[in-house]
Amino acid sequence: MKVFPYPRLRGTVSLRVDSARVKAPAQPREQLDSRARSVIERAVALGAAETEDWETAVLTVSATIPSKATDPTGPWSEVVVVAVLTDRTTNTRVTSTLARETEDGRDWCGELQVLRSDIHDRAVLTVQVIATVDGVPGRIVGEAAEDWIVDVRSDVPTREQSFDIKEVGFTKGPRWLQGFSEAPWIVNASGTVPTVHINTDFEGMADVLGAEGRGPEGLVNAMLVSQMAAEVWTAVFHSAIGDLEIEDDGTPLFPHGWQGEVLREMLPDVVPERTLEDALREVHRRRVGATGWTELQPRIQYAAMRRAEVPRVLSETVRGLDKLNREDEA
Amino acid sequence: MTEKPDHLPEYLARLADEEAARFITDGLLSGKDSVPSIALNQATEPLPESPRRRLRAIRDLIDDAMYIHRDERPTQADAWLAPRLHAILRLTRAEAADSALWNYLALGVAPDFVVWRHLSETAKVVNAQYFKGPHYKQAFARLWWSAELFRNGPDYEPVVIACGNQDMLNTGLRLDVVDHRPTAQAMVRLLQRGVIRTGRDANALAKVVNTAAVTVMYDVIAQDVPRDGDAVRMWIDEGEGGLTVHHRPLPTGPAEEPAPESSVELLANNFAELFADAPVRGRRADEEEGG
Repeated sequence: MKVFPYPRLRGTVSLRVDSARVKAPAQPREQLDSRARSVIERAVALGAAETEDWETAVLTVSATIPSKATDPTGPWSEVVVVAVLTDRTTNTRVTSTLARETEDGRDWCGELQVLRSDIHDRAVLTVQVIATVDGVPGRIVGEAAEDWIVDVRSDVPTREQSFDIKEVGFTKGPRWLQGFSEAPWIVNASGTVPTVHINTDFEGMADVLGAEGRGPEGLVNAMLVSQMAAEVWTAVFHSAIGDLEIEDDGTPLFPHGWQGEVLREMLPDVVPERTLEDALREVHRRRVGATGWTELQPRIQYAAMRRAEVPRVLSETVRGLDKLNREDEA
Repeated sequence: MTEKPDHLPEYLARLADEEAARFITDGLLSGKDSVPSIALNQATEPLPESPRRRLRAIRDLIDDAMYIHRDERPTQADAWLAPRLHAILRLTRAEAADSALWNYLALGVAPDFVVWRHLSETAKVVNAQYFKGPHYKQAFARLWWSAELFRNGPDYEPVVIACGNQDMLNTGLRLDVVDHRPTAQAMVRLLQRGVIRTGRDANALAKVVNTAAVTVMYDVIAQDVPRDGDAVRMWIDEGEGGLTVHHRPLPTGPAEEPAPESSVELLANNFAELFADAPVRGRRADEEEGG
């Protein structure tokens, strides 16, 4: 836990996006449908806009802070609430000061403008409470416990990013895939979002992937998808661990985006009963150190299998096969 | 020796990370081999053809950078090249976030430059991240982003100053605080005033400014004006229209409003005080040398 040399605000700071609108040059403003936002997922999908080539988006942001922040007898004065939008991939940071809405100082509201050309795909939105403390202006005294995602491409407001699936014939596809012409699929974890390339030259692959239901094809489909997912988790884990940024004192840092999320999810299974930071240091030490990396592999495999729900899918497949057999006998 | 590509297509393309990896060979990293340019160009994905993506202009600029600085240390080329590369490429930030573009520039357009600029004198190899790596490391991405984050509206002069100190460029670019324009300008101002002189000074300054940002929000005490999307778009449209960027004079960036002077001044004074109290490696030795 961080220690601050001044009093911080206790209690919950929360934010929500109340509405979003986009604008393209020489076209009317478009107010986005409420389906473009999700309070549960804490996400806005600006890709849901019908206006093509929109250049600016305006988000209406409201925040709730503990009322003691503005208590005149408290340690804080000149309190402001600021919305902060950041995209690490474009080194962009946009801030907007919200206005006090209610007498008790709990509710704050304002607008924040986002340029389409400033965001690669996802930005993170949070709020911070700023005050003058002990004569020092601009102190950060509180911040939202949970942030929002602003996605400029997606048309569905979800937090979780699933992997991308691309169907392509390997034999005549991109050069690097041509070497894998006999493989039914290949996982690539090097981009911003991991991608499973499905080989459409592999006979019957498209049919199996399109299959649904509890018939034999549907069962094979479920198995295949969970197998691919397990490979995606393993591939992302390895690529993230192999590409860590290391601080001067040797401490590895959590990566941003997908890779960071995957590590945070899997590390508790890979190195149980340790803090995430400790677990990351341990895994990094084993990979670059003299020993222990090989012994860690079953744990990585286990963590990936759990995330991809291989046990559940396999049980369901076995039961499904039983059922099909019984139907055959009857 | 790593030579310039013998085949240069007309326009810039994308070279995805998974394709780029196989061209980064030990022979290339030790500056002995060239990149097989026909094979490389078969592995690319095209981008829309536009005058601002014309490779000839980009390659000419890089050739000029190497020629002008042929008798100096290659690090000296950064301050000259960063603003000019930024002005020739005319990218949005979202476009610049695409690593495939930078992979192509390093491997498909100017691998000889990457070797010339980044071959380590001691180890006799190039760190692979200069070919394919994060924005603060990759040979061309680091120059473009330093120009983007240290320019003050249309004025590239602060970029020249920032890139003149390798540690300001290398350490500064990695910090989130430079995403706030008045902060970036205030750091440059301390270089300009001679408060910050050495690489160690720059590292110490970056450290204290970054630490202070955990408890103080610079955006509130030193406000900036909103981003001006129209100015950037008009500037990019000029590039689309085929505008020529001359090499000798310092070019002009997008006509965005500069960071408010009062904000920059306030932070510069604030940072100078922080720096005065900061531990700098070998500061005493430096002062004795200087005195």
